Amino acid sequence: MAKRNDSLANNLISKKANLILNIILLIGCFLTIMPLWLIVSASFTENAVLTQYGYRMWPMRFSTLAYTYLFQSGSIIVTAYKNTIVATVVGTVLATVTVGLYAYALSRPDFKFRRFFTFFSFFTMLFGGGMVSYYAMMRNVLGLKDTVWALFLPMSFSAYWVIIMRTFYTSNVPESLIESARIDGSGEWRTLIQIVTPLAIPGFATVALFSAIGIWNDFRQCLLLNDSSYFYNLQYTIYQTMNNLQFMKENASKMGGANVSNLPTESFRMAMAVVTVGPIILAYPFFQQYFIKGLTVGAVKG
Amino acid sequence: MSQARAGGKKKVGVGSTKRQLAYLSMVAPGVVFLLLFNYLPMPGIILAFKNYMMKVAPAGSFIKNTFLYSLFTSEWNGIKNFTYLLKEAPMLLRNTVGYNLLFMVVGLFLQVGLAVIINELRNRKTAKVYHTIMFMPYFISWIVVMYALYAIIGDKGFINQMRTEPIRFYAGTARKYWPFFFLIAQIWKYTGQGSIIYLATITGLDEQLYEAAAIDGAGKWKQLMYITIPQLMPVIVMLQILAVGRIFNGDFDMFYTLPNGSGSLKQVTTTIDVYVYNTLKAGNLRNSFGYASAAAFFQSVVGFVLILITNLIVRRHQPEMALF
Repeated sequence: MAKRNDSLANNLISKKANLILNIILLIGCFLTIMPLWLIVSASFTENAVLTQYGYRMWPMRFSTLAYTYLFQSGSIIVTAYKNTIVATVVGTVLATVTVGLYAYALSRPDFKFRRFFTFFSFFTMLFGGGMVSYYAMMRNVLGLKDTVWALFLPMSFSAYWVIIMRTFYTSNVPESLIESARIDGSGEWRTLIQIVTPLAIPGFATVALFSAIGIWNDFRQCLLLNDSSYFYNLQYTIYQTMNNLQFMKENASKMGGANVSNLPTESFRMAMAVVTVGPIILAYPFFQQYFIKGLTVGAVKG
Repeated sequence: MSQARAGGKKKVGVGSTKRQLAYLSMVAPGVVFLLLFNYLPMPGIILAFKNYMMKVAPAGSFIKNTFLYSLFTSEWNGIKNFTYLLKEAPMLLRNTVGYNLLFMVVGLFLQVGLAVIINELRNRKTAKVYHTIMFMPYFISWIVVMYALYAIIGDKGFINQMRTEPIRFYAGTARKYWPFFFLIAQIWKYTGQGSIIYLATITGLDEQLYEAAAIDGAGKWKQLMYITIPQLMPVIVMLQILAVGRIFNGDFDMFYTLPNGSGSLKQVTTTIDVYVYNTLKAGNLRNSFGYASAAAFFQSVVGFVLILITNLIVRRHQPEMALF
């Protein structure tokens, strides 16, 4: 009786219902983690065991050989890592700066062309030229084919982030603060850099993280624009490795001079997936709150 | 927001030209990005009505670039590229629209469900941990998902190593399983993320509504049906309408990568986006650019019209939720 009263008085679900829901979510969490765990487990399994007995939740015979191959100098994964890191760092800085500036001007009520530039960026969310035209223009007109630029430049600006950032400015930076800075004789640029920027840090963090994850996880730009493995990013490299044994064989020499028959193909592949997703999972607990903010703001529009 | 906008009606004072120039210099870098990566490809949409032939620009031509020269000098061929698509159209539409509808319905149910459960749990801290874990797949690329799927359903995968008679899931004979795999992959990747907006709405609801209902003797189930769901309705309707506007766009990365390049699965894995890319890359077609563009044109233009229509509907019923 006491239990019933407790849940009724506080308007909570009953303890029994709570237990059942907890079990459901625990199963959900298990199913969320299990596929990734399977990859990790396979990457630490001896290749011969893996090809004979298949994928299991726990390595039958433990081995770190796949990782030894992976980090030998000159391996394709090292090249891909370099490209991805450079693209992510440069692209994120670019995105934060360009989006931060664009959105600030749009957030200013005294900007005469505000409506025009709002539409100018918003229209790109509604209409695009299509994949074929994009493919041809980027490769032949802008000359992005086989460059590191291709891995981040097309992803360094997005109308969606402009909306998020503009909402941050209008809700976190009091108009009176900007007004008083102006009365004190501060120009627009100085106001933005010295007064507004410190207040909009969470907004910048959100945009930076959106773009960093987007560039790190990018597959399509590399698929469309880069043909030479020298300019592959991580995702595309591991895509090729899965899909194309030929690619692996051709690059066997770059995998530390091993001959192909010695290469622990299955566990090697899985180790590649682990090092690709590893940094994101490690950083995830620290950045997820910014995404929750960004997603809520973006959906409710500015 | 609206206050800030109202402030804009104020007279623009002294030093205004300087100020406008400062603002213009702020939007300039963004404008360059939008022009190069979003607006530049737009004129190329005319490829859909052309018989594209690559021609090198003659000396002294106004346009030097080979692609641009070919784009503008190739002959128009009316709707020939579209008629070429007709025989593939039923399959493409079935896959693209069918999968999207399936993902929308199942996704909505699970996302709202998860948000409600997280909100109701008595152990608040653990609830947060659950949500954090389930949100994580959103950040994992489809390529890694392709690896995970391979580890599960591959010939030596988790499922087959438990069976005496292995199933070759990547072969054409296993076609019937694939809609299910795509659905599972979508659920896995997007349930946690999709529930965020619903959860934010629920936690923003007035606590007094529930207290009053509880005093009147409404149990948790009744509160859900008569308070939470009706209050969520505007958000649900808006998100679904927006999803309808994108119904011809598939998750290219997912449909392209998960089947692991298996050609015999084409019937159930080719959506419009995948078809556009495959056609573009098909070297054996005489006018692959034109054919691929026709499919892309359909997607861009019909998608655009759909968004306009859906937005009109939203604006009529929930003006504050309309995109524009």
